[in-house]
Amino acid sequence: MISNQIALIKREFWEHRSIYVTPLAIATIVTLSVLAMLVFASGFAKELDVAIFGASNLAGEGERKAALTAFFVGTSWLFLVALAVLTVFYCLDSLYAERKNKSILFWRSMPITDAETVLSKLITAAVVIPAVAVLGIVATHIVNLISTSIWVSMKGGDAGLLIWDSVPFIDNWSAAFIVVMATGVWMSPFIAWFLFVSAWTKRAPLLMAFMPLIVVPLLEWIFLRTRFFASAVLDRGDAMPLFRTLDFESFFEEEHWRAGIDSISLLGHLDVVRFMTSPSMWGGIIVCALFVTAAIYVRRYRDES
Amino acid sequence: MTSLVNARGVSKHFGAVRAVDDVSFEIEQGRILGLIGPNGAGKTTLLKAVLGLTDCDGDLSVLGLDPFRQRKELLKDICFIADVAVLPRWIKVTQLLDFVESVHPNFSRRRAEVFLSQTTVRSTAKVRELSKGMVTQLHLSIIMAIDAKLLVLDEPTLGLDIIFRKEFYGNLLNDYFDENRTILITTHQVEEIENLLTDIMFINDGRILLDEPMDSLADSYVELVTSGENAIKAKGLGPIAEQEIFGKEVLLFEGVSRENLEDLGELRTPSVADLFVAKVKRARR
Repeated sequence: MISNQIALIKREFWEHRSIYVTPLAIATIVTLSVLAMLVFASGFAKELDVAIFGASNLAGEGERKAALTAFFVGTSWLFLVALAVLTVFYCLDSLYAERKNKSILFWRSMPITDAETVLSKLITAAVVIPAVAVLGIVATHIVNLISTSIWVSMKGGDAGLLIWDSVPFIDNWSAAFIVVMATGVWMSPFIAWFLFVSAWTKRAPLLMAFMPLIVVPLLEWIFLRTRFFASAVLDRGDAMPLFRTLDFESFFEEEHWRAGIDSISLLGHLDVVRFMTSPSMWGGIIVCALFVTAAIYVRRYRDES
Repeated sequence: MTSLVNARGVSKHFGAVRAVDDVSFEIEQGRILGLIGPNGAGKTTLLKAVLGLTDCDGDLSVLGLDPFRQRKELLKDICFIADVAVLPRWIKVTQLLDFVESVHPNFSRRRAEVFLSQTTVRSTAKVRELSKGMVTQLHLSIIMAIDAKLLVLDEPTLGLDIIFRKEFYGNLLNDYFDENRTILITTHQVEEIENLLTDIMFINDGRILLDEPMDSLADSYVELVTSGENAIKAKGLGPIAEQEIFGKEVLLFEGVSRENLEDLGELRTPSVADLFVAKVKRARR
């Protein structure tokens, strides 16, 4: 069972190279943007000297930590956006392409159950893609800290003090890990819905997946004047019960945490217990299980020829 | 003899259409059974039922298992190549071998690599870079490297040229088949495989028209080439098919002894293709 899962997930990497190409592309964009910024800043020699002096002598460790955390959050946010787009396209393709290119019967000629196959797609979307994104975030962070350190040193600053002693690595990386992995779990009902559409639709999976998300709340509002569906489904992205003091959208906005600059901590904003005990999270997992079961059922019982 | 496939009253309906209609048969170990039928006869549906890819009514047991409910278990000992089961175009040959090696307990990578080394398929190539013939060679190399009890081939050589087709069946017989293995094969190119079959089954409109060992075909069926008075006499014996070739009557008989016919003209054993056409036409009458 586990060895089959490993083989199936490896297969997903072969087929969907975007799983690792996308984080690589984002990492490259971020790194190049940072380099461009550093080159741009180099043009202001006087201001730069003042800034480095200020950061070294006037700013406290808290402020340096805050600035570096802001940099980390800003770059990580890009990964989250790319991850969301990647996951939608991956899920919609994962059980549709094998039917379109007729390789489904080859895959089904191997001693693997349909449940194992669908489960491998779910694990890839909800766990593996987020995990790869976390690796991308951490790698990008390290690369950019190195390039910035070299630049700071070239400008006469103390990179050890300004950067390496001031980056809250454990806090930043653990928080990124928790947020990204929890997002996979929180959005799992959507992942499973997309998988189901991918297994079920005969054409246009993207349209079939998003149409109900637009039409159902519209119909509900027109006929019932209520918005239960919209608040339960469309507002789910904003309602993640992981953030202690912030809502999900403003989590990455600097002003919200600048107030408590001396005790800056991303982890401090996260409430894992609240997330794990949230009825909405568990409700989502149940919805996810229902759609995954439906996807397995469709793959197993529908005659494709 | 061990019976590998045992079907009793197997049916499969799609709405009002009866794709397979109350079919019963057995396939014994060490046989090569040709399942022959026109398009839409129910061949593929029957094969899918045997492979556990579709559910059906009646009793169907393959290697002692219920194919639909115990498909994973079954697929360890049964493999298939279907014209429609194409290999994914994006995969590399080495990745394909890696994958099958990881999930199939009875797959020997070494054997597959030996088979592949006899072809022009490069291990670094992607399937999309290979010709149709090479893709079939690749698929066959993988299948032949699986130590399976039953191999199911559904139109495996469709679209291939004659050289690949001959090579395909040559490899199958010389490098794969032995008394422990059983092959179930469907094809339209029946003339090309009739020499390698041990048993034959005709299917039309979901029903079995003929199910016999090849050895006994000559006893059950005989073709008489005759003309004139003898032809009139022979027609009185109830041929199942008649045709005229170069001014001579060719009459096909079922269950009529050769002694009763030998004085009436030249006797020969009908080809599988002629027998098939005769049986199907008769069934449609």
